[in-house]
Amino acid sequence: MSKPKKMTLSKKHNLTGWVFLMPGALLILFMSFVPMFRALLLSFKTGVGAAMKSCGILNYTRMFQDTVFIQSIKNTFFYLIIQVPIMLIFALILASILNNKNLKFKGLFRTMIFLPCATSLVAYAVIFRSLFANNGIINLLFVKLGILDQPYAFLTNVWSARIVIIIALLWRWTGYNMVFYLSGLQNIEYSIYEAAKIDGASAVQTFFRITVPLLKPTILLTAIMSTNGTLQLFDESVNLTDGGPANASITMSHYIYNMSFKYVPNFGYAAAMSFLILVLVAILAFLQMKVGDKRD
Amino acid sequence: MKRKILAALLASTMVLSLVGCGGGSAEAPAADSGAAATEEAPAAEEAPAADSGAAEEAPAADAAAGGGTLTVWCWDPAFNLNAMYEAEKVYQKDHPDFKLNVVETPWEDIQTKVTTAATSGDLSTLPDIFLMQDNAFQKNVISFPDVCADLTNSGIDFSQFAAGKTAYSVVDGKNYGVPFDNGAVVACYRTDILEQAGLTIDDFTDITFDQYLENGKKVLEATGKPLISMQAGECDLLMMMMQSAGSSLFNADGTANIVGNDTLKIVLETYKSLKDAGVLVEVNSWDEYISSMVSGDVAGTINGCWIMASIQTAEDQKGNWALTNMPSLVGAANATNYSNNGGSSWAVTTNCKDQALATDFLASTFAGSTELYDNILSSGALATWAPAGDSDAYATPNEFFGGDAVSAKIVDFSTKVPSNITGVYYYEARDAVAVALTNYINGSDLDTELKTAEDTVNFNMGG
Amino acid sequence: MTKAKVRNFFMYVFLIIVSFISVFPLYWMVSAATNKSAEVISGRLIPGTYFLENLKNLLANQNVGGAFANSVKYSVILTLVSLVVSSLAGYGFEIYHDKVKDGVMSVILLAMMVPFVATMIPLFQMFSKAGWLNTTIGFILPTISTPFLIMMFRQSARSFPHDIMEAARIDGLSEIRIFFQMFIPTMRSTYAAAMTITFMNAWNSYLWPKVIMTDATSQTMPMVVANLTQGYVTDYGMLMLAVLICTLPTAIVFFCLQNAFAEGITGAVK
Repeated sequence: MSKPKKMTLSKKHNLTGWVFLMPGALLILFMSFVPMFRALLLSFKTGVGAAMKSCGILNYTRMFQDTVFIQSIKNTFFYLIIQVPIMLIFALILASILNNKNLKFKGLFRTMIFLPCATSLVAYAVIFRSLFANNGIINLLFVKLGILDQPYAFLTNVWSARIVIIIALLWRWTGYNMVFYLSGLQNIEYSIYEAAKIDGASAVQTFFRITVPLLKPTILLTAIMSTNGTLQLFDESVNLTDGGPANASITMSHYIYNMSFKYVPNFGYAAAMSFLILVLVAILAFLQMKVGDKRD
Repeated sequence: MKRKILAALLASTMVLSLVGCGGGSAEAPAADSGAAATEEAPAAEEAPAADSGAAEEAPAADAAAGGGTLTVWCWDPAFNLNAMYEAEKVYQKDHPDFKLNVVETPWEDIQTKVTTAATSGDLSTLPDIFLMQDNAFQKNVISFPDVCADLTNSGIDFSQFAAGKTAYSVVDGKNYGVPFDNGAVVACYRTDILEQAGLTIDDFTDITFDQYLENGKKVLEATGKPLISMQAGECDLLMMMMQSAGSSLFNADGTANIVGNDTLKIVLETYKSLKDAGVLVEVNSWDEYISSMVSGDVAGTINGCWIMASIQTAEDQKGNWALTNMPSLVGAANATNYSNNGGSSWAVTTNCKDQALATDFLASTFAGSTELYDNILSSGALATWAPAGDSDAYATPNEFFGGDAVSAKIVDFSTKVPSNITGVYYYEARDAVAVALTNYINGSDLDTELKTAEDTVNFNMGG
Repeated sequence: MTKAKVRNFFMYVFLIIVSFISVFPLYWMVSAATNKSAEVISGRLIPGTYFLENLKNLLANQNVGGAFANSVKYSVILTLVSLVVSSLAGYGFEIYHDKVKDGVMSVILLAMMVPFVATMIPLFQMFSKAGWLNTTIGFILPTISTPFLIMMFRQSARSFPHDIMEAARIDGLSEIRIFFQMFIPTMRSTYAAAMTITFMNAWNSYLWPKVIMTDATSQTMPMVVANLTQGYVTDYGMLMLAVLICTLPTAIVFFCLQNAFAEGITGAVK
């Protein structure tokens, strides 16, 4: 007797779920998927500006002969591999320190560490360019300390330009990710930590045995977000180094933007390159979901 | 509660589907008739009401705007916007009902908006007049033939503008732009620094780059200061050197002119010799470039005359600066001491409902009023319109530059600038050459780098 | 005891260093807003006396008030609508999850992976046809529902205690009331974090507004800042002041909300 009733209840819940997610899902359908589909159609066309004709998969084969685009893929993956893990680990450490109930001036520390990502891009670009200028503070400091003999052109040498971009990314986004961890940590009962302390667990043990496993859903979220953000990296490349020296720091999105708005517009090709990014991010996100998205 | 949500949901779904269809049916005729048309056909049937509604609305709004008002997009309040407001005042004397609606829009945003509007086939969002960078003019006119109106027979006398300037906005013999600000290249020097090396401004006038290098070494030895700073990875100076000999990165037929371009090779070699000698120092960014001048880290610069406005912000250096023409290339055919960098021109869009008003406005202001050019001279906007240069205002001495009548001098320079071919793929070629320059300075072989640059440009043109 | 004290000491030193590095560029920005342009680019670090002059120039140069009001309007509306729509969806995906919904979620994630440059032109066509250029709805519609927010709420709904829900159902609360009366208060920390982030993104968004906002009256703060960087001469003192004004709202929003997402309202829930 109870079985059919339960069926209808779960059916009802199922339906309620759909109703709840429908407004959001429909908006995404029309604001993202419809334009995406049209961009996909566009990626099979070629031509300048508005006059476009079909060209099959030419745009897709073309990008593998495009040395600048290949360079931009390499640069972007370099940023991804170095920057994302460092940033997430650092954000986790900061969040767990700041989650300590006995810490003084927590609010002040939190706000200060968050502030970089609230800074407008323009200011941050001007500031970083000024810090790393030939007569900037960093050079001044290094020369004074005897690390360098003479000022080094950080933004116009291949490796230092890339490293400055990574430093800038770490500076700007670590606090941002910390926010998610701090908010995620609220769902962990503080008593668990106290119990661990009584059991004599060290800070490192607590971090790896309690914090990391319990924050797994949040870590997954930030990992996907950061992967996606880095693969679409645009601002830093444009504003800090303008992709230079000699395209050594240009990112994929920067190149796509140039292809759309700086150069003679070739939207078919730009769309095709965008879909390559989509595929790359999707693969990485899929792998991350496989590893991290299991309900216990 | 649930019902309310459902109702809201339904409503929003309907709105959204209308939107989706509206967009869909709009593209169908403009774009090709392939997969897109079949996909969108049912949508078009569904929503005739929404479409016709939108279509009726547009002309009504435009008609209202056409009554003596023109919308203008341009950037820089102190410079271009100011010039437009002054032009409005001049025109209002004869046309009291005339009004301008000037919207401040940075150049990059204008480019984005024009590209977006033209690519989506909906030009109704464009203004009546907008300002365009000279370097982007050919690209936009050729990529988006529907955007800019042909002004050849509009009654504007283009022969009164400097020929090198007008050439930027001419495509297939037709005029698409009314030249505005002057980008004639000037060489500015700190006379107090030169003095320490026993040199004067005369030692830098009408010289070649060989003499420039020798002078530079003297200055470096006496003061430890380079003559010039340049933003690394940018090829402004290269392009100025190229144009001073009338050379371009493209041939008249549009093909790339990089490999086998002797002038380009001389330019790159000259640049490297300046850099190797320490006479030219590379900096990381534009901010640093400006800073190196105003804080006295370098003895001068070479750039478009608009750079004077930045130099003059260093008020403590008043009277210590002097201005002359740029050095000429050694060994290049047709080498001169004159070139151009930057500058912009006004374009009238096809979306403008009152073309006669727009062209008459431009003809009686930017192409016909010495009063206007006198009024905007103080903001640093120098004319390329020849009659303006004869005005008394241009002969006024400038105390910052040692009491020299710099305005008249620059107008004179601008008439001597050789014209060159911008080319549709200007920015592609420029970026490719910048890469070649960077690698060449770091020790790569010049011919290999030029070959790579040409391949890159050809690759882009092949898309 | 001493060992703990040493550890504590190092923890504070570490935090102070990190905070200093984080804040130093901002200090520079504030100080730059009080200096002359030439002083700013020559790297002067000490606050100057040019603040009022910069302010006067800025107000004369740009319609800061109008742009600020626009930015507040767009950002506040977008944040509120977005939080309701996205959290409802995230909640729906997690609480009533099944294989199909999980699949739909994965598809939705795809939506954030295409660079905006690629979808901008088709989106512009739609909005231009619908007459939404220069409107609030035009500004907010594309980002009301974002895969990121939906996923964030989905992930956090995972820790929403099932026993609370069951108890509420037995008490006869409808599903939507459980969401509004139980879920939202319980997840206050998530909402606070989401609100900070959404507000910040809305406030700083630039590429989309620059395409659809063509009137002088619908400009936003980031557009004002961009206007200041485009001239032949950049007044860095004035620019930094504009940037400072543009940064403050996000900083204030964060400061007000941070206790809600970090200080633990766990006590209230238990």
